[in-house]
Amino acid sequence: MNPTLKIAALPALVLAFASGAHAAGSHGGGHHGGNVIGEPGNAGNVSRTVEVTMRDNYYEPESIHVQRGETIRFKVTNEGGLVHEFNIGTADMHEAHQDEMQMMVEHGVLKGDHIDHEMMNMDMGNGHSMKHDDPNSVLMEPGESREIIWKFTNATDLEFACNVPGHYQAGMYGDIKIDSTVAAKDGAEGESDSESVQ
Amino acid sequence: MNKGFLLTILAGLLPLTLLAGEYDISVDRVQIDTGDFVKEGIGYNGASPGPVLRFQEGEEVTINVTNNLDEMTSIHWHGLILPFEQDGVPGISFPGIKPGETFTYKFPVVQNGTYWFHSHSGFQEPNGAYGAIVIEPEGREPFRYDREYVVQLTDKHPHSGDRIMRNLKMSADYYNRQQQTVGDFFSESAEKGFMVTLMDRMMWGDMRMMKADIEDVQGFTGLINGKGPEQNWLGLFKPGERVRLRFINSSAMTYFDIRIPGLEMTVVQADGNNVQPVNVDEFRIGVAETYDVIVHIKDEEAYTIFAESMGRSGYARGTLAPEDGMTAEVPELRQAPLLTMADMGGHMDHGGMDHGDMNEDDMAGMDSGDMAMGAEVDHGAMGHGSMDHGDDASLPEDPFYAKGSGLVPTASNGGKFLSYSDLKAQKPLYEDREPTREIELRLTGNMERYEWSINGTKYEDADPIVLQYGERVRFKFVNETMMTHPMHLHGMWSILEVGEGKWNPLKHVISVAPATTVYMETEVDAPGEWAFHCHLSYHAASGMFRKIVVEGGPDSTVAEGKLSGKQGGES
Repeated sequence: MNPTLKIAALPALVLAFASGAHAAGSHGGGHHGGNVIGEPGNAGNVSRTVEVTMRDNYYEPESIHVQRGETIRFKVTNEGGLVHEFNIGTADMHEAHQDEMQMMVEHGVLKGDHIDHEMMNMDMGNGHSMKHDDPNSVLMEPGESREIIWKFTNATDLEFACNVPGHYQAGMYGDIKIDSTVAAKDGAEGESDSESVQ
Repeated sequence: MNKGFLLTILAGLLPLTLLAGEYDISVDRVQIDTGDFVKEGIGYNGASPGPVLRFQEGEEVTINVTNNLDEMTSIHWHGLILPFEQDGVPGISFPGIKPGETFTYKFPVVQNGTYWFHSHSGFQEPNGAYGAIVIEPEGREPFRYDREYVVQLTDKHPHSGDRIMRNLKMSADYYNRQQQTVGDFFSESAEKGFMVTLMDRMMWGDMRMMKADIEDVQGFTGLINGKGPEQNWLGLFKPGERVRLRFINSSAMTYFDIRIPGLEMTVVQADGNNVQPVNVDEFRIGVAETYDVIVHIKDEEAYTIFAESMGRSGYARGTLAPEDGMTAEVPELRQAPLLTMADMGGHMDHGGMDHGDMNEDDMAGMDSGDMAMGAEVDHGAMGHGSMDHGDDASLPEDPFYAKGSGLVPTASNGGKFLSYSDLKAQKPLYEDREPTREIELRLTGNMERYEWSINGTKYEDADPIVLQYGERVRFKFVNETMMTHPMHLHGMWSILEVGEGKWNPLKHVISVAPATTVYMETEVDAPGEWAFHCHLSYHAASGMFRKIVVEGGPDSTVAEGKLSGKQGGES
């Protein structure tokens, strides 16, 4: 993209991000109370670690079981060839976030296997930026690995999803199944419980 | 077929065994019933379309093709990467298959995705000789789905291919029913002024073209998997399922604009190659292209698959439904687009405007006053009756159409219409490198005589294009005609230049819109002799066709021995 064009388009993008976040509530943790999807967890309360591998364009595993109240450390690694996201939220939240990610693509922040961090983190002078640093999500280039510590409270109908445009629709999401009756057990639910894959 | 299928399954159970399947195909005279008319045609294994061939990536296939016709035949495996002797083009790859004979194709399957096969002899393909190929991948695909359907489109015409060709040669507008009439002339004159309208008509007349000349051959019935709109092909699903639709355009001449009202489609594959998924409301499929989309259907409703021809002279229709008998509304055809001055592009330089009796005042009165500049937009000629003329912001844009073109598609719901510029390879196959040289191919034609050519030369008068094994050639297509040409290179991938470097997508058909220049690059990695042509049946047959000779390579004797040979391929 033409650099001049890119800069000129920035204010519009920031504006859209700001309004999008308020209206649609896609970024769970900070803006509107953790109860909807849970809340950032403390390292001291972590009961277990779930390793999640991101590939093109799917996760391993494709569904995860947690206990209500459990705090889990997700160790997420991008072993694909493209940028991917691991984001904990409801289907509606993911859908709203996808519009924002679409804008990141259209404005050249997100390009195939590359994230323009400088542009993404640019301070627009009004406290807004396109930073992608919410505690319920990580956005990574190929080869990167990061952690999320998350406490699952009374949330239901949660999914982990990649909201890079098209990836969710291609099938890059999985269910987080929250169990409130049985005591916590170790480990993620394996492929046995995943949706049919062809 | 059954036997071959069994063998394939057996091979799957015995991992140490080489995957190998044997398939039998007969080429037969068949009846084709479109719901509008019944026509004798040509099919495979007793039907048109023929069977869906299901291969496994890595499989070694053996295909016995028996010709039950009283004329020569052939099968070309469209989009498959294979040794050139197996490519099925009479006069280039092999002599063809005589009546009563069985020819055995044998080749390794080195790719996966959605492809198709068709006769490369005479007009057997428009007469019904086509089928689908589905190749299952070795590994996991970068998307998932619960069920899948082939959705193979064609434009079945009540006339045979030979008759259509004869009629087109006699009168190029024989099948063009949407010509503008004298009545149109007077109503447009009242609206825009007599001189403007007269000038407009005179210029188009000079080009031997008509604004409505988007589809050479109208009067067809659009079919999905052999079924006409009334016969309504049905794909069943269970609510909540993700369904993969493998769209294949096997038409002789017709581009389709495809939508499923109420459903977003995620394009995951183009021409058999995975692309980074892109969500769309509608897409245009050129002749011989394939697009795979995934739809997620959550409710217990029926949905219409609606495929309007680009010139809006016909449509194909099918239904996705949770149970048999359910249907959804079938939309009306939208208004036919008209070509604009932008679509005539280069023609402006060739004397089209040389009307000396025009004075300055007349020019000033035209809202297309800038047309003397060459390739500017002619708002007055925009064919969309409801469009407010002169409002630039309202003009849809797509870098793969001339600026101001009347052909730029828009989604019927105002949403996203797929562009070539949205296609990015999911995983680059080749390392990105500078091309070693560029070859310019002007797409040319004389509409009045219905002659189509490349660089002004018809196939029968042209020398082959000689490439060297190992080079990366950049082809520059310059479309000097007012038709859209789907250019198909056999045997090697066409890497479409969309400005994304290593992510430029791999295709086997590159559609080139009127008055545009489109680039593609090819890694010359397949020795032998290959066909390269416009995939519109009657354009290929009337000369828009070349033989490609690839010299050198691992099996260098093959190409060199035949270099001096005359061109003799059939389209």
